[in-house]
Amino acid sequence: MKKYFIIPSVIIIFILSWVRCTDFPIDEDGLLITTRGECYVSNFELLGVDFQTVRTGAAVIDTTAQTINVNVFYGTDLKNLWPQFSLVTDAKLDPKITDFVDFSDLANPKQWTVISGNRKVKKTYTVFVTVQQKP
Amino acid sequence: MLRKYYSLTLILFLAVFIIACQEEEYSLPTAESGLHNDCIKRTLGPNVVGLNIEFAYAMALLPSEGKIVSAQVEASVAGASGTYLENKSYYTNSSGQDVGIAIGDASVTTGTKTVVTFTKDTCAATLRYYYIIPEEARGKSVSFTFSAKASNGQTVSYEMGPYNIAKMDMKLDLLAKDGTACYISIADMAVYDAAGAAANAAKIDLVYLYRSITGITFSHALVSPANTEYLPDIILPSGVNNSTKSIKAWNLRDQQLARLQYGVFIDDVDFQQIDFANAPNYAINMKAEAGLWVETADGKYRAYVFVNKVDNTKKEMTLSIKRLQMK
Repeated sequence: MKKYFIIPSVIIIFILSWVRCTDFPIDEDGLLITTRGECYVSNFELLGVDFQTVRTGAAVIDTTAQTINVNVFYGTDLKNLWPQFSLVTDAKLDPKITDFVDFSDLANPKQWTVISGNRKVKKTYTVFVTVQQKP
Repeated sequence: MLRKYYSLTLILFLAVFIIACQEEEYSLPTAESGLHNDCIKRTLGPNVVGLNIEFAYAMALLPSEGKIVSAQVEASVAGASGTYLENKSYYTNSSGQDVGIAIGDASVTTGTKTVVTFTKDTCAATLRYYYIIPEEARGKSVSFTFSAKASNGQTVSYEMGPYNIAKMDMKLDLLAKDGTACYISIADMAVYDAAGAAANAAKIDLVYLYRSITGITFSHALVSPANTEYLPDIILPSGVNNSTKSIKAWNLRDQQLARLQYGVFIDDVDFQQIDFANAPNYAINMKAEAGLWVETADGKYRAYVFVNKVDNTKKEMTLSIKRLQMK
């Protein structure tokens, strides 16, 4: 009778220990490091302080030149914009976006680096903002 | 050994089944003897001076024990004019409508006390109390003592509160018109025309305008007089030059300002916590149901301007304001 209990228990404990000890590497942010080497921005959004889009059209993302060109409405408050990046699976962004960003210095466009899922490829994207002009 | 476990398990299951299947017969609850009461607060959100706080006060005793002779509410701060206790007891009919039945004379308010004297033979009633928040209560807290008296001499009472009364002010449905009544004063919570703006130049915080400009989205705008870039073709009255910090908001439809179905309320603390450090001094392309946080140039007032309605043809905007004096 006892063996019906002991044998399965030992097997389960062994399996759990094995799973627990398998190496799933994580990075400094606690994110899983995967095998994916893709590294690009797939979509870009820019929100105003009211969390409504300020884009006049879709942002133009050039993954070769690593640039994002976005045209914003006339009168947009460039000092308080919240960029949102959509990245390829498992990639992450550096620096992290935790607050509104000041885009008002148009001569010095903001840059963000995309880091691939395997954390081995890094690509820096430059975001160029153009304000719609009054005719 | 194994049979013993089986037997024990079987007994356990049987016991569970017996308990689970026991039928409890329903019986009508018996009303307790004596006069009883209960109260709920019906209004939600911040208590703003000038608005009311509504309560529903219920009282009852067994018909064989007597009838209710009076109901009273005592507030810790006397209510403003218009405070009253309903002399009708309400029930909700099958259509969901509240139907009132008069149970006594209209309430009489003397100082902090509001009393209804029953004239109908009534042993159960729910009366509503509308407390109009007076100026004296601003920034304080108010408590209420509801009480009822029965013909057999019994009395009951129920304490409600304390409730904090907000420090902020509120003004509803101001109409701003492009080119005429377009000068908005947060200090006065009013909209002025050019002559009024010239007379109150230091108090003008925003200018309303509507522009339909080909190639850009300008539409309805609330702009500081200091920012002439966004005031095309506008000649400001002499002395009107304040720079008012503004932060646009969307989906912030305060129920007291919007009077819509959204359960969102702006309270004193929201004005105290908002950061105007990097705020611009203009807001263009304002839509209906949008809002604008503003801080006056002297930092004396912070306000939330809610856009109730816009009309492109008439070039006008209906707006409601909540305002807190900061210093």
